[in-house]
Amino acid sequence: MKKTKLGLILMLYASIACASLAVVYAFTKDSIERQSEIQLQASLKDIFPQATAFDVVENLTSPEPNIKFETAYEVKSDNVPLGLAIKVSGPSYGGNATLLVGIDLHRSIAGVRIMALNDTPGLGMNASNPTYYVDKAKKVTFLGQFEGKFLTDPFEVKKDVAAITAATITSKSLTKLIKTAGDAAIAYMDQKVMMASMEDEKPTGETSIGASPAVSTGSPIGAPGASAGTAKESARPQAGGK
Amino acid sequence: MKKLYSVFKQGIIFDNPLLMLMIGLCSAIAVTTNVSNGIGMGLAMTFVLLFSEIIISIFRNLIPSMIRMPVFIIVIAAFTTIVDLMMKAYFPDLSKSMGVFIPLIVVNCIIMGRVEAFASKQNLPSAIADALGMGLGYTWVLIGLAAIRELLGNGTFAGIQVMPASYEPILFFILPPGGFFVFSLFISFNIWLKKKMEASARKKELVSKKEAA
Repeated sequence: MKKTKLGLILMLYASIACASLAVVYAFTKDSIERQSEIQLQASLKDIFPQATAFDVVENLTSPEPNIKFETAYEVKSDNVPLGLAIKVSGPSYGGNATLLVGIDLHRSIAGVRIMALNDTPGLGMNASNPTYYVDKAKKVTFLGQFEGKFLTDPFEVKKDVAAITAATITSKSLTKLIKTAGDAAIAYMDQKVMMASMEDEKPTGETSIGASPAVSTGSPIGAPGASAGTAKESARPQAGGK
Repeated sequence: MKKLYSVFKQGIIFDNPLLMLMIGLCSAIAVTTNVSNGIGMGLAMTFVLLFSEIIISIFRNLIPSMIRMPVFIIVIAAFTTIVDLMMKAYFPDLSKSMGVFIPLIVVNCIIMGRVEAFASKQNLPSAIADALGMGLGYTWVLIGLAAIRELLGNGTFAGIQVMPASYEPILFFILPPGGFFVFSLFISFNIWLKKKMEASARKKELVSKKEAA
């Protein structure tokens, strides 16, 4: 009998706590969602400054079981495609990390922004620190080093990707997220180009893609990597744009 | 009033939660890599401590002692979640850089310790004074630790470059060993300060006794 009473008292406290949490949650929910939406939009604009529209792509899924593509956008500027942006989340050092990865038509990374990351302050958290440089001389941040990097590169930490000091696991996991998103985006682009060229005699896919002359980003064009077969059409934007 | 002041004062130097009671050290060393984290963590922690002590002190006679621990945890967890949500909604940048340490306030021994050792036995005004004193004691140590570690380990203060560009940051201070090192210096400083204050208090007592005699 006494134990039941104790249980009931505990239940009472728990329900009061629950109720008050529900109130605060309802109160802050909109604001939190708005913050993350603002952050997402700002990051998209930041990666693709010329973009005017971000169309949601539905049928893009991750090949890895533990990595998830939350949303994907086809980035366009006045109906001219600029590339793809994928919001990808997957395991990192301190739980799941969420990144926004932009891929341009040069088959390189246009930019990477952090949406959510739980990591050790001062160590892994430096991934999101705009004044933490992996290359001090050139002032390149951890995420900054991916900008303009071609997806044919190996993406291996401590080889072609510089790691964050004392945060190798974070560096490796974030690199993997970027690579996975990038590869999926390239596959999606290839598929689209193929479909477009099959659909019509006129190479619509080529013109629409080719007509984005270097507006994308200032990434090095014609660097190694952009090669082979279908790549040629999409990788050399200046070819069609003359 | 005088009693409240002495309770308040206790947490700052004499019973400083970090330097004298030595509780809640994990998050203290982990977040003090820059000053804004130190301030944010100190305030968040003080908020949770204050409201938990208020609630527990008000309901102290209505909590059966057999289940006091789970009740304390419920109260503390509720306030921590409130802080976490508020930070996410109104200070997203701060919330991002503190990461997992805000939710971890729940298991911070300082709150559990003060609620169990103090608030569950004292009336409301004393509990508030204790929470504020302990919170201030926690916050000043965090800010001090963070200032030294950030300055030496990163050459900045609250994100602003202070050291000349030629200064090569000493990574040691940002990493945990450096945290322990600076922290131990703070402990010795605090003990020195405490002894000094005790000596001067004793002297005052002697003088007043002599005058009375």
